[in-house]
Amino acid sequence: MKFDAIIMGGGLTGLTAGIALAQAGRDVAVVSNGQSTLHFNGGTLDLLGCDEAGNAVRNPLNAIDALSDNHPYKKVGDVKALAEKAQRLLDGAGIATEGNAEKNHWRLTPIGGMKPAWLSLKGMATIDDPDHLPWKSVAVVNIVNYLDFLSPFVAEALRERGVQVDVKEFTTPELDEARKSPSEMRATNIAKVVERQDLTQTVADAINYCLDKEYDMVLLPAVLGISSGERGDQLLQLIDTPAAFVATLPPSVPGVRMQTLLRKRFQQLGGTFIVGDQVTGGRFEGDKLKCVTTAKLEGSVLEAENFVLATGSFMSRGLVADYNHIYEPALGVDVDDNGLNRANWAALEVTDPQPYMETGVRTDEHLRCSKDGTTIANLYAAGSILSGHNGIKRVDASGVDMITALQVANNILNS
Amino acid sequence: MANETQVQSLSANNFEQCLKCSICTVYCPVSAVTPSYPGPKQAGPDGERYRLKNKEFFNEALKLCLNCKRCEVACPSNVHIGDIIQAARIKYSTHSPSLRDRMLANTDFVGTMASPFAPIANPVLKLKPVKAILHGVMAIDKHRTFPDYSRVKFESWFKKHAQASQDQYAKHVSYFHGCYANYNYPKLGQDLVKVLNAVGYGVHLLEKEKCCGVALIANGMPNQARRQGEVNMRSMRKAIAQGHPIVTTSSTCTFTMRDEYEHLLGIDNHDVRDSISLATRFLYQLIERGEIQLAFRDDYHKRVAYHSACHMERMGWVPFSTRLLRMIPGVDFVMLDSQCCGISGTYGFKKENYERSQAIGSTLFQNIAEENPDCVATDCETCKWQIEMSTGVPVENPISIIADALDVEETKKLNC
Ligand code: SF4
Ligand code: SF4
Repeated sequence: MKFDAIIMGGGLTGLTAGIALAQAGRDVAVVSNGQSTLHFNGGTLDLLGCDEAGNAVRNPLNAIDALSDNHPYKKVGDVKALAEKAQRLLDGAGIATEGNAEKNHWRLTPIGGMKPAWLSLKGMATIDDPDHLPWKSVAVVNIVNYLDFLSPFVAEALRERGVQVDVKEFTTPELDEARKSPSEMRATNIAKVVERQDLTQTVADAINYCLDKEYDMVLLPAVLGISSGERGDQLLQLIDTPAAFVATLPPSVPGVRMQTLLRKRFQQLGGTFIVGDQVTGGRFEGDKLKCVTTAKLEGSVLEAENFVLATGSFMSRGLVADYNHIYEPALGVDVDDNGLNRANWAALEVTDPQPYMETGVRTDEHLRCSKDGTTIANLYAAGSILSGHNGIKRVDASGVDMITALQVANNILNS
Repeated sequence: MANETQVQSLSANNFEQCLKCSICTVYCPVSAVTPSYPGPKQAGPDGERYRLKNKEFFNEALKLCLNCKRCEVACPSNVHIGDIIQAARIKYSTHSPSLRDRMLANTDFVGTMASPFAPIANPVLKLKPVKAILHGVMAIDKHRTFPDYSRVKFESWFKKHAQASQDQYAKHVSYFHGCYANYNYPKLGQDLVKVLNAVGYGVHLLEKEKCCGVALIANGMPNQARRQGEVNMRSMRKAIAQGHPIVTTSSTCTFTMRDEYEHLLGIDNHDVRDSISLATRFLYQLIERGEIQLAFRDDYHKRVAYHSACHMERMGWVPFSTRLLRMIPGVDFVMLDSQCCGISGTYGFKKENYERSQAIGSTLFQNIAEENPDCVATDCETCKWQIEMSTGVPVENPISIIADALDVEETKKLNC
């Protein structure tokens, strides 16, 4: 099967690159081995949240200048321009966001943490300045017996910052029904129940009913709107006080929505999304990758002018560690293991920066991969498979995904 | 040594690979509408750990699983969740199939009985009182329309009108038509013969063809399924020995014979598996290798919306059909969101499943209504029944669309 470009990996990185290339008129296929880590995303994207000293970043663009030279952003021409482009791309897919690259805001995590963020999906609870919360009184409202939103934790975190917080619960007969098998009362299943039975008004009524006084803010678990943000917007409008969503534990509805809408956009642009298949190898000729094979297209290969490796990090098996090595399993391209051996892959304390996190695929200044020391002219890498960054410690994971994906798309279009 | 230990500690369906990421639960069409179903993660890898310790942990609610494999397609860790669930049903279920389940499962037996009586059987199966009896006594839902039985089976048509001319071609395939093309919709088989003949391939029947057994597996009759599978494998081996690839037009039969035979029924199909191909893939690969060319009519225009049938998606072969359809200049192609239509073979025919089945399909039907196509294309026949019944939009196999759009004379010239 012949395409202009083949992208390995169907998450935020792969779909961003895929959409950018398809928008430019290229015939693109995305091969995705199962669904992506976007399913854990709480509805925010981060560009750079912490500098190398571990301090929270207010202006990501400025702080990016100060990063070390091996950080993927150093291979990006104009981060600001691409950050704006990323926001437009999301918007074009029906994902409305708030925020910009010059000023971080803060988001609430499902367990009550506060993290710097670049873009948040419309409707998510955000804070301009974590040292000065904009609310004096907050109600944290959960669905009865819904376990993936830890309302007491969220409440406690806010109380520690001097906010007066009440924890409330609500339910409806339909939600009671959805609890029949407690393990299956998940955010995405709740979203489907509300969507199918058109329960937005019912849910709003139940929430309003449990609020017995005025609050500055009502925080709700983000369990609405898999296929669009509309239903969530509607609910917020139907609530008597200002209200916003806080992400739940996975599977996370805002993340699944991003995945769904990006995929849809990519397919509308004529892209071919191959899910549940896996690249098993490639044929290299000289400094070029000619084609890749997959587990299921047996008898056919995927040929293209350009290839993008966006298969993610260890969790998505874009990188694999066996007992002695860290390697890239699909094509066997070169990996920067930073001279680490098994003994020092990991730091002793879980919360310490983990050295293995900075390992990843080695790329040249154009984000091209190499194999056995030879740069492959038409094989690019983007996203969390790249070496030189730590998405957790730097809070830069989704920014690296989108920004390097867009840079790679530019490099392909200009090559 | 250490690395070997890692590999050796994997069991057949990879359940140890589960990371507990919960992604599979997002894509299960059943747990979205039936909260009492434990869902893929719990019914699959999580439950398996318990069942291995004590079979008492087996839960009959697992019969609610459609075996759609959408959880497997979504799983980033390659856990064979659907296989784990079906294997558990085969191993632990003590529930024996009812008369209704046996009837629904024996698609070829019922087909053989009904075909000669098609003019009687079709209207009779549509009569309200008969439907009421089916609903009440047999627990087959009254809303369902049985697919019409054709008066002339595909095999009979083929023997009478096509067989004699097949030897004139230089290249040959054997066609596994499946129950649907044989009893309900011989036109699909005729379309295949038309297309393959036009590109220079003769089409032949297998020496003996039995229902692939997918419905038998789903209805708890693995032994009969295994016997039928062995018959099919024997016939296919003979065809392959003559140099015939095996071509099919149903994604579900194909998936069953290639993958479920080995995984669920323990049939050794390793020497046959790679020779079984869906017709769209077979054609696409011939075109890709430059061995054949297709020419299409100028006056063919249709807005075609493609629906990814569950087992088609599981095989990973959707691109073969969609790229083939997109080669037709007159096709305005739309890709529908990939989701289950809810019928899952015989599942949706059962009274207790009807509402669930329609609830599962509702978002697909809505998506089709929004796209407003002239027809829906899909590689699975049971999706065809479900979508036609629920949306009123005609549904065609991609092969029928190709046969319709094909300029036969021009194609023959290109391939002689
Ligand atoms: S998707 Fe796969 S790895 Fe994740 S919970 Fe389901 S079975 Fe486990
Ligand atoms: S096979 Fe289908 S119905 Fe069964 S658990 Fe998986 S997704 Fe659910």
